[in-house]
Amino acid sequence: MKIALAGNPNSGKTTLFNALTGSQEKVGNWAGVTIEKKIGTLKSKFNPTKEDIAIVDLPGAYSMSPFTSEESITRAFVIEEHPDVIINIVDATNLNRSLFFTTQLLDLGIPVVVALNKTDLLTRDQTVLDVKSLKERMKCAFVKTVATKTQENGLDLLIKEAVAISGQKQETPFQVPSEALRAAQYDAKIAETQDRARYDFVKEVVRSVEKRQVENRRETIQDKVDRVVAHKWLGIPIFGVVMWLVFSVSQTYLGPFLADTFVGWIDAFYSMVENAMGDSVSPLLSSLLLDGVIGGVGAVVGFLPLIMVLFFMLALLEDCGYMARVAVVMDRFLKRVGLSGKSIIPMVIGTGCAIPGIMATRTIKNERQRRTTAMLTPFMPCGAKLPVIALFSGAFFSDAAWVGTTMYFMGIALIVFGAMIVVRITGEKNKRTYFIMELPEYRFPSIKRAALSMLDRAKAFIIKAGTIILLCNALVQIMQTFNWQFQVVEEGMESTSILASIASPFAVLLIPLGFGAWQLAAAAITGFIAKENVVGTLAVVYGITNFIDPDALELVGGGGSVAEIMGLTSAAALAYLVFNLFTPPCFAAIGAMNAEMENKKWLFGGIAFQLGTGYVTAFIVYQVGTLLTTGSVGTGFIPGIIVVGLMIAAVITLMRRGDRMTVPKPEAHLA
Amino acid sequence: MANLIVFGILVLLFGSAIVYIVKAKRKGVKCIGCPHSGKSQCSCDDQVVNFKL
Repeated sequence: MKIALAGNPNSGKTTLFNALTGSQEKVGNWAGVTIEKKIGTLKSKFNPTKEDIAIVDLPGAYSMSPFTSEESITRAFVIEEHPDVIINIVDATNLNRSLFFTTQLLDLGIPVVVALNKTDLLTRDQTVLDVKSLKERMKCAFVKTVATKTQENGLDLLIKEAVAISGQKQETPFQVPSEALRAAQYDAKIAETQDRARYDFVKEVVRSVEKRQVENRRETIQDKVDRVVAHKWLGIPIFGVVMWLVFSVSQTYLGPFLADTFVGWIDAFYSMVENAMGDSVSPLLSSLLLDGVIGGVGAVVGFLPLIMVLFFMLALLEDCGYMARVAVVMDRFLKRVGLSGKSIIPMVIGTGCAIPGIMATRTIKNERQRRTTAMLTPFMPCGAKLPVIALFSGAFFSDAAWVGTTMYFMGIALIVFGAMIVVRITGEKNKRTYFIMELPEYRFPSIKRAALSMLDRAKAFIIKAGTIILLCNALVQIMQTFNWQFQVVEEGMESTSILASIASPFAVLLIPLGFGAWQLAAAAITGFIAKENVVGTLAVVYGITNFIDPDALELVGGGGSVAEIMGLTSAAALAYLVFNLFTPPCFAAIGAMNAEMENKKWLFGGIAFQLGTGYVTAFIVYQVGTLLTTGSVGTGFIPGIIVVGLMIAAVITLMRRGDRMTVPKPEAHLA
Repeated sequence: MANLIVFGILVLLFGSAIVYIVKAKRKGVKCIGCPHSGKSQCSCDDQVVNFKL
């Protein structure tokens, strides 16, 4: 048996899906989080039958006439795969909008049971619904649900009702003659007239079943808050303050406080293993286990508490509805530089992980805008980059919070700047697109949902540390221990190791950026496998077992030691951070770019653009930073300016070529 | 003997990591340890639907 969950965006489909199947699919308090169908099996505690019941979560849709790609997926599934029952999730606080789609689902003849979700909010809104009349008027079953609750949420009854109506014929409350339906497929005016009639029917039904004490048109507190939070000029500084607070708590106060205990455990484990091995184990094996595995992985995992606190806070922000406002604030900037209004969704998702962010670009219809968004989304610092941000902001800057906040804003600035360049290079005229996003109501964020989201990310982080990072660190340790003749490299001769010989040519290119050491180059290279590897590799090559001092709640030696070991100035450290954040993402994300761009020219062009952006930005940060702090430019300025100049010249040439493509030739007008 | 034990532990650790990665890749996981990074749940028909848009 197959049950499809269909409904308007942000009606709570994925929350219901997770509750029914026990899945942990991404939910968000804003429209457009689900972009493809998800399939799960109904939990046995809800299943009244002996057979397995498949639950299919479909992307949100306002109508069966597809306007967006998500609506196309929903329509295609419902019509072509013919589920046994459709559970139509309806926002009980907004029936006028939701029941339009319900009437269209009822037309299909597939049994429909309507989940009147968010019914807990009706009391708050002083709204009373006559569910009995609603059932009679709509000719289908209605069940009150609150998908976010764990007890008395109505889900048992919902499933029982769905199973009971399976196989029955569905009546339709709004009759449209089949000839008229056929005609509407070819004539937009007929379709519009039918839609208006359908809306009038829904309005009339809602008027008869709903008793509101509060007028819809009255300005609510939410409207007043939105006028400030989503203001076109105030919105950005407010977002800056919010992010600064988030980073302050996660990277400066609560995060390091929790990390202190955690790193203490890792240290204790390291010492325990070291003592247990004593001198009886070969130095090669012991250094591989201690420095490569425990030290390298431990250095990365040591940042777990900071990341958990950060993601917990970001989940709270998303759940309370604030991130949807940020999307609205950013939307107007992105549209001006030739991106789709929808481009903001992949970018917000990309703050968690670039891969689902890049995958979310498939909802953008315009090919150039979709590819440009896929190319620029990795500029938003993702979760994997957070340990790198935490390490450098903590080790080199006493007030760590501004560094993380600045990196987010720098990412946004690079996206805007990059979009302006790409639109010129492609030579396509900037077409303004319109993006209507329904703002979810503000609500008190759920601690449980935020905790689950945080634990989900923590689990993923530990899995990555125990697999990819573990293997990479071991490989780095082996490559650092041996030379090309597979002889053990003596102490002080590390520059003859395999790792040093591979990384050194790259390190030369990085001298103008302030970090020409082979160790730093090697860490940047391993970062392309997974960005957390930058921290792990630095721990292995510099022999630092942890970056967080358990005694003083500060990074090793109070900020000075890490800087001394790495031989970096503050400007060079910031440049190194910028280079790692804004050069191409990890290989998995590049694979996602390849899948969504569907064009090798765009893919390689995108990678080159990301590489150039990271290099140029790091060069500017290092040279300007050095000039400001010491009064003179940094090392390698002349070769660096030549390389950067060549990159800029290449981009300008491509932009001019694109401009010539945009301007139509006079002959074309005559023709 | 101590060397053998440590060698065994290392083989176990690396072997488990490799087996996990291979299994995950076979299941269609695009990125190991990335939350919501898209398991390959769509059928080929879905790909066609997405491609046509």
